Amino acid sequence: MTADIVIGMAGSGGDGIVSAGESLINAAARAGYHALMTKSFGPQIRGGESSCRVRIATSRTHSPGGALDLAVALNWEDFLKFGSELKVAGRTVVIWDSATGVTKDTLPLPGVKPADALAVPLTELTRAAAGTDKAKNSLVLGLLSGWTGIAQEAILEGLKKRYIKKGEELWAANERAFAAGLSYAKEHPLSVDLRLEQIARPTDAQSKGKILTDGNDITAAAAIFAGCQFFGGYPITPSTEIMQFLAREIWKYGGTVLQAEDEIAGVAAAVGASFAGKKSMTATSGPGMDLKTEVLGLASIAELPLVLVNVQRGGPSTGLPTKAEQGDLYQACFSGHGDVLRPVLAPTCVADCFDVTVEAFNIAETYQTPVIILSAQEIAQRKETVDPIDTSRYQIVSRQAPTEAELLDYKRFRNTESGVSPISRPGIQGGAYLAAGIEHNEAGDPSASGAMHTLMNEKRFRKLRALKQREDLLLTEGDPMAPIALVSWGSSAGICREAMQLANAKGLRVKLLVPLLVYPIAEDAYARFFQGVQAGLVVEQSFQGQLYRILRMYVDVPSSVHSMCRSGANPFQPAEVLARLQEVALTLQGRVSNATPAQE
Amino acid sequence: MTAQLNVVSPKDFKSELKPIWCPGCGDYGVVQSIYRALANIGRPAHEIAFVSGIGCSSRIPGYTTAYGFNSVHGRSLPIAQGIKLANPDLLVLCAGGDGDGFSIGGGHLPHAIRRNVDITYIVMDNQVYGLTKGQLSPTAAKGRKTVTSVYGSIERPINPLLQVLSYGAGFVAQGTPADMPGLTALVEEAIRYPGFAFVNVQSPCVTYGEEHQQMKAQKATMKSLSTLGHDPQDFLKALEVATHYGVELHTGVLYRHPEPPATYEQQIRERQTTLSRDALPRERILELFQKHA
Repeated sequence: MTADIVIGMAGSGGDGIVSAGESLINAAARAGYHALMTKSFGPQIRGGESSCRVRIATSRTHSPGGALDLAVALNWEDFLKFGSELKVAGRTVVIWDSATGVTKDTLPLPGVKPADALAVPLTELTRAAAGTDKAKNSLVLGLLSGWTGIAQEAILEGLKKRYIKKGEELWAANERAFAAGLSYAKEHPLSVDLRLEQIARPTDAQSKGKILTDGNDITAAAAIFAGCQFFGGYPITPSTEIMQFLAREIWKYGGTVLQAEDEIAGVAAAVGASFAGKKSMTATSGPGMDLKTEVLGLASIAELPLVLVNVQRGGPSTGLPTKAEQGDLYQACFSGHGDVLRPVLAPTCVADCFDVTVEAFNIAETYQTPVIILSAQEIAQRKETVDPIDTSRYQIVSRQAPTEAELLDYKRFRNTESGVSPISRPGIQGGAYLAAGIEHNEAGDPSASGAMHTLMNEKRFRKLRALKQREDLLLTEGDPMAPIALVSWGSSAGICREAMQLANAKGLRVKLLVPLLVYPIAEDAYARFFQGVQAGLVVEQSFQGQLYRILRMYVDVPSSVHSMCRSGANPFQPAEVLARLQEVALTLQGRVSNATPAQE
Repeated sequence: MTAQLNVVSPKDFKSELKPIWCPGCGDYGVVQSIYRALANIGRPAHEIAFVSGIGCSSRIPGYTTAYGFNSVHGRSLPIAQGIKLANPDLLVLCAGGDGDGFSIGGGHLPHAIRRNVDITYIVMDNQVYGLTKGQLSPTAAKGRKTVTSVYGSIERPINPLLQVLSYGAGFVAQGTPADMPGLTALVEEAIRYPGFAFVNVQSPCVTYGEEHQQMKAQKATMKSLSTLGHDPQDFLKALEVATHYGVELHTGVLYRHPEPPATYEQQIRERQTTLSRDALPRERILELFQKHA
């Protein structure tokens, strides 16, 4: 029996492996498990290789997990393309279609000795049961259900929902394939017990408000909740689902989606809508962010609220358009010319996307500035159980409008103590002003004076001082006195959280800091966190270790804190981080025992 | 305040900002024609949003009392559309030069037109880059010598009139500050047209322009389309007139759609009204995911 199982499956696009994964997590979530699924694809539109990783556990997990417990290869060529995403190790039970001709002795997994390996006549069984190859994924589901015990009624219920609308016959074929898989599993028990611990099926009251969704969809929903009324954007993988969700829903709330002619027009229209007084948003991925950068600078100097979501993918340029990387942090913080302070928020899981998006709108509106949400393919397209979100505990902030008294002598960019000046909008009598990319005086009139430029830069930077004090946006965990520090952000943070738990369980004293507000850097909070730290790691999925280097710009990071980083599409696994932490701990012990005699 | 009296005069639209334009610049006439047209329309300045890009002419919103947005080079049209879609009750004007509109921002023009957002787009076309001091513009005649086309330009110029007609603009006109009453009437008519309206203004550059482009020369050569008996409802004739761009200076309305189609924002309002009937309250938006779970 196990409390936590990770299943990885890969096949070619038409095999329906991702939809099998969806059926599995839907059923598991309904049965009350914490379910999480990440997807990874080849670059092809149809066909090509596709894969999913499903993790099902009896309690909350924070990452897609480590090496697979169960690997399913519909064909090896496709499976092996996901070598770093679907890690097979000594603990893994490997299942594959015997039609591939691969046998136990010819497994294409050099250097790995899986716990069990089983060639299953997937194609043959499917044809016999369903009369078509198309139901292979349902047969796989039957096998998985049989071996893991994951709620078969719930899976069948989901399958029925999916197939019945496409015809009775197709549904019947899939039902037969599922049953064939189930009985094959019963007749061929695995040598490793992969049965998931049973949990009591949740009552209606318990499951009320619990949802299963992905990062992109919940980001879009959060935008509507936060009051977003305009979205301008251009389709780009892996962010497009945000626009698609809003294109279905935003009209109901009096809002508009503009599918623009290009990335620049998308953000420019959003800036226009913001100037007109509406909360507005755009979403893109790295290459689109490159194009939008000039307009972001405009929004900064014209002090217009705007939320921009960058769902990161591998870069530069087209890079790895369907895969995850955290390589856009420099771009988020520093792209664009001139002196600009740009708030950057990063969610670490699907549930975070809701909080972070609402927060992004609040910050944008409060400080009249563009705010970047750095999401990532891994979170945006990951489906996960989200515990009920009580929307009444969120405060929704809207920009500060000028009072009637202020309108008598209105200065749009009044140099206030907080740096925030009440913002008018077209339609308000007495509030007319010139918004401009050109530097301006308090009234908004163009100015090329060095003194005025200094004054305005001071004012704009002053607005965000308060943000650095938002310690609620820096999550810390573990013993504050722990000598070993872990820092991570975005899609790597969940992995580190699990690694820390593993480390602490092994008696290592590790603490963790995860900034949801990644930039500006809260120098004081980091300095306090690093106080007394003897060693540590900054973990992230980018070749250069971008957060690590930015931290060193702003904070006196102890020299014994190192960067643990690597390129995208090679996600870290909790066990790997744990191993590094153990190494770190050993060095520390060494240092202590070496140091002691010298002092004597 | 004047706006409350509901009677507005051209000077209500003139701001206190002093233009950076050279003495004798055609753009002085253009801004005057806008003051006058807006006074004739009668909407108060605070209900007007005036967007521009970058260039000499793009300074124009600042010289009015409307809400102005002097944005970045080439992006005035998408910004203007965002404003209009966010608040369709506003009167939205958009202006800029030929470089802003037909070169760096040229990709936005067909899309603004195909959406038919109710915006009036005024281009001050002087066939030269003035702000950067005299480089070749996309509407400059072939063979034109400038500091960046020292031996004469090799490429053909863009024909903005033909472009916007072929993109399907419902209102297309050309004017010049050499004929102020005519220009004022065109701007006013463009604003009143319910849909995307385009006015190309031959607004000469006194510093980098050529002799034959100046106002004095224009006065001698311009031909009024109404005097020529042009029927602005005749699309094919309008295309024919447009082909003379760069050769002859035609002024007046080239084309006015006889039955203006519904604007983008009108269709959005209908959609919003219909769909809002089955909206979950915002605070219950996450229930959308429960249906699928």
